[in-house]
Amino acid sequence: MDEIYMDYQAAKPVDERVLKEMLPYFNEKYGNPASLHTIGDQATEKLEESRKKIAQFINASENSKIIFTSSATESNNLALIGAAQRYKKKGNHIIISEIEHISIFNICKYLERNGFEISKVPVDQFGIIKFEKLKNLIKENTILISISIASNEIGSLQPIKEISEIAKEKNVLFHTDAVASESVLPIDVEEIPIDLLTLSSNDIYGPKGVAALYIRKGVRINPIIIGGGQENGLRSGSHNIHGIVGFAKAAEIMKREIDSESKKLKLLRDKLIKQILNIIPNSYLNGHPEKRLVNNAHFRFDYIEGESLILGLKDHGIAAATGSACSSKTLEPSHTLISCGLLHEEAHGSLLFSLGRYSKEEDIDKVLEILPKVIKRLRLLSPLTPPKLLKQYEVNN
Amino acid sequence: MKSTQYSKKVLDHFRNPRNVGVIENPDGYGKVGNPVCGDLMEIFINIGKNENNEEIISDIKFRTFGCGSAVATSSMITELAMGKTIDEAYKITRNDVADELDGLPPIKMHCSNLAADALQAAIRNYREGTKPDVEIITSCQLEIKVILGFDEFLGKGTYKKVDDLTEFNDKRILIVDNGDKSLELAINLTKITGRVILITSGKYMPGSKDLQSKLKKSDVKMLYESELLEVRGTDDVEKVIIHDYDEDNNYELFLDSVIILEER
Repeated sequence: MDEIYMDYQAAKPVDERVLKEMLPYFNEKYGNPASLHTIGDQATEKLEESRKKIAQFINASENSKIIFTSSATESNNLALIGAAQRYKKKGNHIIISEIEHISIFNICKYLERNGFEISKVPVDQFGIIKFEKLKNLIKENTILISISIASNEIGSLQPIKEISEIAKEKNVLFHTDAVASESVLPIDVEEIPIDLLTLSSNDIYGPKGVAALYIRKGVRINPIIIGGGQENGLRSGSHNIHGIVGFAKAAEIMKREIDSESKKLKLLRDKLIKQILNIIPNSYLNGHPEKRLVNNAHFRFDYIEGESLILGLKDHGIAAATGSACSSKTLEPSHTLISCGLLHEEAHGSLLFSLGRYSKEEDIDKVLEILPKVIKRLRLLSPLTPPKLLKQYEVNN
Repeated sequence: MKSTQYSKKVLDHFRNPRNVGVIENPDGYGKVGNPVCGDLMEIFINIGKNENNEEIISDIKFRTFGCGSAVATSSMITELAMGKTIDEAYKITRNDVADELDGLPPIKMHCSNLAADALQAAIRNYREGTKPDVEIITSCQLEIKVILGFDEFLGKGTYKKVDDLTEFNDKRILIVDNGDKSLELAINLTKITGRVILITSGKYMPGSKDLQSKLKKSDVKMLYESELLEVRGTDDVEKVIIHDYDEDNNYELFLDSVIILEER
């Protein structure tokens, strides 16, 4: 059975065109850019060409820096810890939001233990930050604001332009994690004054294990990995050339195709949301109805639990994700859903469909056929389902 | 090990659960868990006699809200218990259930392996003849409690009276149940915003019959057996701390407004 993949937020396949571009760099052009011989020169050339492509992807100026790293998590570490260390004499206050990615949360916990003060901006019921609150949180000793462009879970889009402008006005660095949005939302760091930006390769259909941090001209941060001084001393360690080549090719394709792809995904996603809310009783959309990633559809369903929902869908060959505690390592429900004001039992019944490059209308139709059945089966099992709804299900039998 | 890495047997019981349903007027009934934690199980039993005139479980049914292992353990225990004497059935442990299922992921051993507890509760209920659904907490609205932070945030998210509904547009609101006026307000507010939560210390829907049926039809989200302890925020209300009597724990709820009507 071919699996219907609706979990692009978790991982994406590598585009065939990207894979083809990468292959020679495994065993033909395998040089190290640090070497002085021809095969080393080839690698240097390709490395700098790749850097340019990533810069073009986000419209970065020539004087800014693109630092290659091993993961978006590493980029976030470099941005937050690197900036905190660099600017600690100026201040020790950092602002993030209540719905940041877990990597940002845990980096901030680490910084807190090391003498930094962390404030979290609350969000409204749609998962969008309260901008006035953010403004009021900025103090004399604030050195950095880190807020993602979009939530990786519920897809809510943050007012990035306003945030970056207030940060600039108050002379505070602004970092944003673009991983959740980079495949559907073009970024222009010249139009929006972002100081530090995290990008991931896999999230634009490049290989895993490679990512980047954009650093605006004039912004200084400290390295967190020390060694041979690669990447201007900001990220030591031999270059993952084949990964970087793939990342750059993925960025080149994405830049070209992002508009048409987003349009297609929005049509599919809108159909999915409209139909599910229409045909499944007691179903709700999490996040904002319009201000959300075009490939994100995040629901919750009363009376059932998310992990059993995922297992039920899996039996029918559908891959999706949930914010339920029972599927996590910590058994805590998603902090994003709780911060939007959901109760724990509501967060347990959540389901995320994220669409991507290879999503087809047939996939949506299949989900619309299967999902109501799986939900019905679990609701018939559940002691929480009210008699009225049980009756409704029996009548429709 | 992934929390969802289940054995074939667990998956089989999840896909084809045995003995699902309800027994009307059962001889014994047990309920354990809490939807807040993600698991809730009910077990119904009927008692018969075997040839040695010992009491046995002659029929058993279950309903479960929970993850894959919660469903599977419930299903498994009904198979294990069916036909056993009640003394034998009472001795079935969580480990027995897990072993019969060829093991559970370690993280699931405690949280989603409550079926043995539910069966024991049902047997105790039969033996002791206690009412299965003993109400411990009664609705109490007369006592005036101090809620930390409520006065501090008056005009910044907390309200003692409401004149203009429109200022609650798209807000997440918590209303404390203190009489019919508060219930009517909750229902009216659902026209303004999608998120109205009514908190009550009682176990059942408060208010007059008429209001109860209106509340049931409305989008008001009910929080039973709970008490508002504290309102928190920086400049204005950001979240509240709620005590859950049933679970005896406190948790945070993010919201924008808290209403405790002065006039009842």
